Amino acid sequence: MSAIVQCENLSRRYGSGDTSFYAVNAVSLGISTGEFLSLSGPSGSGKTTLLNLLSGLDTPTDGQVALAGQRLDTLGRNALADLRLQHIGFVFQAYNLIPVLSARENVEFIMQLQGVPAKKRRQQAEAMLDEVGLGGLGARRPGQLSGGQQQRVAIARAMASAPAILFADEPSANLDSTATDELLALMRRLNEDRGMTFCIASHDPRVIEYTRRRVRMRDGRIEADEQS
Amino acid sequence: MGTLGLLLALAWRNLWRNWRRTAILLLAVGVGVWSLTSTSALMQAWSASSLDAGLRDMTGQGQIHATGYRDDPGIARRMPVPTGRLLKLLDSAEVAHWAPRVRVPAVIQSEYETYPVTLAGVLPVRERGLSFIPDSISQGRYLKGGDDGGLLLGRKLAERLHTGLGRRVVLMSQGADGTLAERGFQVVGIFSSNPHNEKGLVLAGLATSQAMLGLRISEEGEITGVSFDLHDIAGLSAYIRALRAAAPRLDIQPWPVLLPMVSAMTQLSDSFVWLWLAIMFILLTFGIVNTLLMSLFERTREMGLLQALGLKPRLIFLQVTLETLLLVGLGVLVGLLAGAATILAFHDGLDLGFLAAGAEWLGAGQVLYPRLVPSELFGTGLLIWVLSVGASLWPAWRAVRKTPIDAISRAT
Repeated sequence: MSAIVQCENLSRRYGSGDTSFYAVNAVSLGISTGEFLSLSGPSGSGKTTLLNLLSGLDTPTDGQVALAGQRLDTLGRNALADLRLQHIGFVFQAYNLIPVLSARENVEFIMQLQGVPAKKRRQQAEAMLDEVGLGGLGARRPGQLSGGQQQRVAIARAMASAPAILFADEPSANLDSTATDELLALMRRLNEDRGMTFCIASHDPRVIEYTRRRVRMRDGRIEADEQS
Repeated sequence: MGTLGLLLALAWRNLWRNWRRTAILLLAVGVGVWSLTSTSALMQAWSASSLDAGLRDMTGQGQIHATGYRDDPGIARRMPVPTGRLLKLLDSAEVAHWAPRVRVPAVIQSEYETYPVTLAGVLPVRERGLSFIPDSISQGRYLKGGDDGGLLLGRKLAERLHTGLGRRVVLMSQGADGTLAERGFQVVGIFSSNPHNEKGLVLAGLATSQAMLGLRISEEGEITGVSFDLHDIAGLSAYIRALRAAAPRLDIQPWPVLLPMVSAMTQLSDSFVWLWLAIMFILLTFGIVNTLLMSLFERTREMGLLQALGLKPRLIFLQVTLETLLLVGLGVLVGLLAGAATILAFHDGLDLGFLAAGAEWLGAGQVLYPRLVPSELFGTGLLIWVLSVGASLWPAWRAVRKTPIDAISRAT
């Protein structure tokens, strides 16, 4: 399998002088197409920071990240945004959706930026919402959806744009167990049926259990990298 | 709907997330634009009224004199009645009215009093439409012709002289040969005008005045000046140039030179409008910047999310700018409509009777006629709208300067 994301000696330092510390320290990691990977570890282990570095949301202090064959350190802010638009999907812990857009419009958002024609966009958005079990709720605004429903809309949005990889940061943190199970089952299904690549940062054992590759971190370094 | 449509939709919907805040700023913009357009129309009406009063006060849009007359307005500085090229220009289609005059300092004497005055010898028919005289007769009659032997006095002068209709007065002045010229006149009319005219101006027929002063009369006659009005005052500069080319030895001046105070007041009025625009814009800028900063502060994480999803920082910048354009555009529209309604409401005249004394002293009429000029209204609104974009640039820059992770993590 080819690597979609590859990082070499990646580090992220915060602060300066005696008070500086490494949130991520000399990490090398490759994620291949179709992988269903978790980054786990206790609070402060660096999993979220690593996720942010791999996705181009944050800039490393040392080391390099290559995504879809492009080194992120060679790209400006507008080019990075374009790369994220074309190749990356995101599901955050909370506040995933644009509040002034309906669920369907949120799903269409990235397709619209990608220049997909309106009719095709709408059809695809409705299909995605159906697939994540939210058919018929497309007109609702995020404020009218539950936490679990919002997360599923975020996944539908990510799916609709057909990214090379979907990064999820603590996607189940604000969900109850039922909603968490439904979300994880959906992600697993998308991975198995569509070959979508997932990289999920989480400390939730249920999430880790769902993934096939488990990268465990401690104090900014990779402690273990196991295939289940 | 492409990217621009998406940004417009986001901008529009973001405006109404806090409708009270948006409504307050809309009201501020609307009131500001309304005040600017209404004030501008009133100031222009005031200027127009002052200018009209000044021009009709025996001045006209332009005057022709012998060189030196304006500094020493006496009989010695006289000019021939226009002929040749000069006459052709005065009779051209662009001239609405022109009138030859003799205007000299004189002394008027009644049985009881003696006062200094200015004698104006006029052709009555030519003064119609050019000066205030024909429309200002309050007692008696207007002059019948250039050879009318009667005299028109101002109301205040008649009171001072203790004279009235049908009574005789004597006018004295310097004649063309340097000797004393005098003649008795019967008062045939009393006029009402501003205090300056009422106390100091007397009017007689042109030929009668020429005869009294020993000037040549008729086609080879002598006068002290010509006053004229064009149909379109915008062509005055070019017309003056043409007159000067036709009569290089004469002193030909437009009204701003002849009425420096009116000219200054017109410029002051224009300057006031610009000053008011600047003040209003500064105040609006504070309002816009404050509103935008508050709104964007509340959406910090959302800005990060948009970047994370792939919206380029320059497009986020554009979206924030669009919010301002929509907000101010709406406010400008409301203000323009209110301004237009206000101006139209006074289209038949705004009576300043309660300010009559002050208005008269400043040379303006009692009734002002604000005019709705769509191009000016549109221009004012467009100027404010475009300038307001400048007010949005700093908040928009602040919105995009954070990296996605900074924006997302700071707000959580």
